[in-house]
Amino acid sequence: MGQTAVSRGRLPSVTSVTFRRGLYAGRLFLGVGLMVSLILTTVLLRSPRGAVVFETTFPLEVPLFASLGAMGGMMLFVSDRSKGVLEYLIAYGIRPGTLFVNCLLTTVGLSSIVLGSALAVGLGGFLVTGHPLTTDLENSVLGYTIPMTYASSLFAASCGMIWSTLSTPRIGYNSQAGVAPLLGVAPPMLVLILAEAVDRSQYYYVTVGASLGFVALVAILLLASTRLMGRERYLSAM
Amino acid sequence: MVATSGEHASDRPGLEIACRNLSSGYLGKKVLDGVSFTASEPAIYVVLGPNGAGKTTLFRTMAGILRPYSGRIEIGGRSIEEQATRDRLHFLSHVDGIPDGLTVEEALRFYASVERAGEEDVERVLRLLEIEPLRKKFYSELSAGQKKRVSISRIFLQERDIYLLDEPTANLDPKVAAEIRDLILKLSRNKVVLYSSHNLFEAREIGRYVIAIRAGKISLFSRISEMRSSRYTVGVRVMGGEASLPPEIRKGEYYIFELSGPEKVPGLLQDLQSKGVQVREVKEMGNPLEDLFA
Repeated sequence: MGQTAVSRGRLPSVTSVTFRRGLYAGRLFLGVGLMVSLILTTVLLRSPRGAVVFETTFPLEVPLFASLGAMGGMMLFVSDRSKGVLEYLIAYGIRPGTLFVNCLLTTVGLSSIVLGSALAVGLGGFLVTGHPLTTDLENSVLGYTIPMTYASSLFAASCGMIWSTLSTPRIGYNSQAGVAPLLGVAPPMLVLILAEAVDRSQYYYVTVGASLGFVALVAILLLASTRLMGRERYLSAM
Repeated sequence: MVATSGEHASDRPGLEIACRNLSSGYLGKKVLDGVSFTASEPAIYVVLGPNGAGKTTLFRTMAGILRPYSGRIEIGGRSIEEQATRDRLHFLSHVDGIPDGLTVEEALRFYASVERAGEEDVERVLRLLEIEPLRKKFYSELSAGQKKRVSISRIFLQERDIYLLDEPTANLDPKVAAEIRDLILKLSRNKVVLYSSHNLFEAREIGRYVIAIRAGKISLFSRISEMRSSRYTVGVRVMGGEASLPPEIRKGEYYIFELSGPEKVPGLLQDLQSKGVQVREVKEMGNPLEDLFA
């Protein structure tokens, strides 16, 4: 037997191991999100209509694929809960709220990989092909792409996690893991359709307005999760 | 009911787990109601009870997973809410708790990192549980017995004073179950082990104490050796004269007789002999723990 039982104080952080495991759990979604976003970015860069199409469409498509690529955090939570891993971690003394937040941080990390790659390739390619970085594009990326990417990813992840704890586990495409990507993709998809339909002068108001509204909604959801996610919710079925 | 194993002083100071008027449950629904007992003697305490009696809820509450609605859990007089106190116990759930997508070795390393155990502890446990050949296998590739062996291996990563084991041998074949029981028996020489089981013969074989739960309350806390069954059942194997025995009392190779106590066995044998029955073997069939489920 190993060392004698002693008081060992603080628990180690499981944030980095959660991220690594989330990366593994959601590797398929991450791969698809990365691949599709980079292919679309390349297509937009090579569009015969040039800079205008890129400036209005590129900032809108990135959050779609970033939220898709960030499913690993939620998938890990759903799997760990059903397999009793969360129960063990709580028994070791890790607070349930920390486990929830770690999966959200994993979601943020994974969506950052897609966002960062798309921005690097998209904006880099845009500059390399001789287009200047306009204020409109800059504002769209800062006012919409970045906040909407994190908001839609966190929305999908937190809805999926909360939903999985409130309902009976299901298998297949009607499971929380199967439906949650749609929850993440739906808001930026709606904005994409709406922004393409409105006049160019309205574009900035529609996109930034939608992103601010959605960020506020996600903030409310995360605050509500502290009430919705009692520690019993983290336990596997008996 | 307040029960204690305190007649035997612990040979390690503070090696004592106590539930004091504990009430607990899920989402406001009470499952345990006023549970109190103290386990202080290094031994296996078998927690028995019918399905839904509250065994798993008791273990989850004692492990600090569920917060009690009222009452306290203490180890060596200190509340389980303190991390240093919590570090003195190991909990083994009825679910395996092995993370997805990890090999056996990686899963053990994962738990070792949370437990602050070292690389040498992982290697030692792989050898102890004889799961070295499985180290590179994914958990999903293992048989049920191998999965249980891997799952239980985590409690050997670090030595603790108190062990809460929720059905550690459930759904295992007899050979693997016996091996795991042996490991736990060795462990219990200087530890307090609470062990829930549905297997009465297993409970009698390894347990020194029984804690029976019924409808969320402790209905019995006793030394198993001191328990007397209200029914005493013997099986008689015969080698002749079966015709004079009623066929409805035959179970397999044995004819089953219910007696008021072991002292009635010689009388039964005389009676059988007088009927021309040739007795080959008499075997005690009943288990006093069965009464807890009656």
